[in-house]
Amino acid sequence: MRGSRRLRLTLVLLLLTAFTLTALDYNTAQNGPLAALRRGIDTVFGPLEGVVGGGASSVGNALSGLPRLGSYQSDNKKLQQENARLNGTIASMAGLQCQVDQLNQLMHFIKFTDYHPVPAHVVAVGPAGAFEWTATIDAGSADGIKAGMSVVTGAGLVGRTNGVTPHTATVLLLADPKFTVGGTLISQASVGFATGNGSKPMTYSLASTRSVVRKGDVLLTTGSDTYAPGVPIGTVTSITPDTNAISRTATIVPFVDVSSLDLVGVITTKTPTAPRVPFRPYGPGPSPTSSPCRAAVPQGPVPAASPTPRVTVAPRPSGSSTPSGSVTPSGSATPGGPVATATRTP
Amino acid sequence: MTAQRFLLGAATVVTALLLQLTVVSRLPLPGAAPDLLLVLIIAFALAEGPMAGMVTGFIGGLLADGLSAHEIGRLALAYAVAGYLTGLLHDETERSTLQPFGAVALGALTALGAYAVEGILLGDPRITLYPVLRAALSSVPYDVVLTPFVVPLVAGLVRRLDVDPLRRL
Repeated sequence: MRGSRRLRLTLVLLLLTAFTLTALDYNTAQNGPLAALRRGIDTVFGPLEGVVGGGASSVGNALSGLPRLGSYQSDNKKLQQENARLNGTIASMAGLQCQVDQLNQLMHFIKFTDYHPVPAHVVAVGPAGAFEWTATIDAGSADGIKAGMSVVTGAGLVGRTNGVTPHTATVLLLADPKFTVGGTLISQASVGFATGNGSKPMTYSLASTRSVVRKGDVLLTTGSDTYAPGVPIGTVTSITPDTNAISRTATIVPFVDVSSLDLVGVITTKTPTAPRVPFRPYGPGPSPTSSPCRAAVPQGPVPAASPTPRVTVAPRPSGSSTPSGSVTPSGSATPGGPVATATRTP
Repeated sequence: MTAQRFLLGAATVVTALLLQLTVVSRLPLPGAAPDLLLVLIIAFALAEGPMAGMVTGFIGGLLADGLSAHEIGRLALAYAVAGYLTGLLHDETERSTLQPFGAVALGALTALGAYAVEGILLGDPRITLYPVLRAALSSVPYDVVLTPFVVPLVAGLVRRLDVDPLRRL
């Protein structure tokens, strides 16, 4: 009897402690009273994750070569050994090739947008897997990373950095329901917010009910204090026709599949290096309906060889394109049009 | 609770958490990933009873909380409750081979329910019907599949430390 009383007392005590901790940590993003505890746990586990994560991926590479070994049926021992060695090489080459592809994509992203992301590997995926979408990367404040920076792959936006320790950082992935980013549709210069939806596609809510959203429209980040502008997020797959709501919503399928991430880049520079182009009124030129924006925008991952790579810098001026749309004398011009022209005429 | 027993708990919890973060969560399985740490906690609860279950659950949950994006203390509470409940099954005199599987299923559902209720109370936008159902239909069965790998291992380790099994409380 005494044993069970002590047991119940401990249970109540533990539950109360857990409740108190939750209450203390509630709605305090980075600087709550428990931030130090969280940072401590992250700092201890981060390097360990890096070690285990690296080992796990090389085990995976080795295992992927094994099935091929079994199918080899020769009694020549020397040939078998040779085969095993070559298969091992193939397996590790496949891993290397994969990394080269991802690096190439990231390099292309750099060329494409003028950003210079800090490369990092995803070493771990957050524990509360069913509800949260987070990842740990092996770069931290020592590499110039701060909380709230955009994380990208060659294909587009991945998420933003959340907690940062000296050598690791936690990334809140764009699928997380608490992830929200300002987004602009490239053909609209629309203003709105894209929110994560777990394993389902993202939701984009537009501020204006009048903007015409089409299937296949590409969404870019608007950019803010910490977010880099002009990073591709995804494409519109469906539009919710809510007639009496104060905002319109669209479904966005992200370019990046956050369930299989390896090499990512963190954008540490605030804006692209290209200088801001002075605004000029939109004069006679190509018809606004044939805006080059839509054509130049990647449909899916950034295309390997795009004829006009500079045009994607447009999203950055597209921050200033919202006013340009209304100032333009030609009135109903699609704001995407003048932007591209403005960047071209020095 | 000897120092040895504490070290065993700490080492297994840290190992499980590291494996969870680096390997288990990244397995290309449909639905939500299995929860290795929770299975470990239930294994301790089955081997040693409710006290060990809830203390291991609380500490393991606290560590997992620190590594995640939600409020600290939520998984600690959910795992402590799961550890306590499954620990109550520890005393059963005749143990069938299926009992650990049932205990893991019960514990996993309890932890999921407790975490979801906490989320609803806190107004967490992540807790909606779809992900909860998805976890109940994917993560919980995966946990049950992990049972034969974790429960006998923990039982063996605990037995090895225990000199006199009758003195266990």
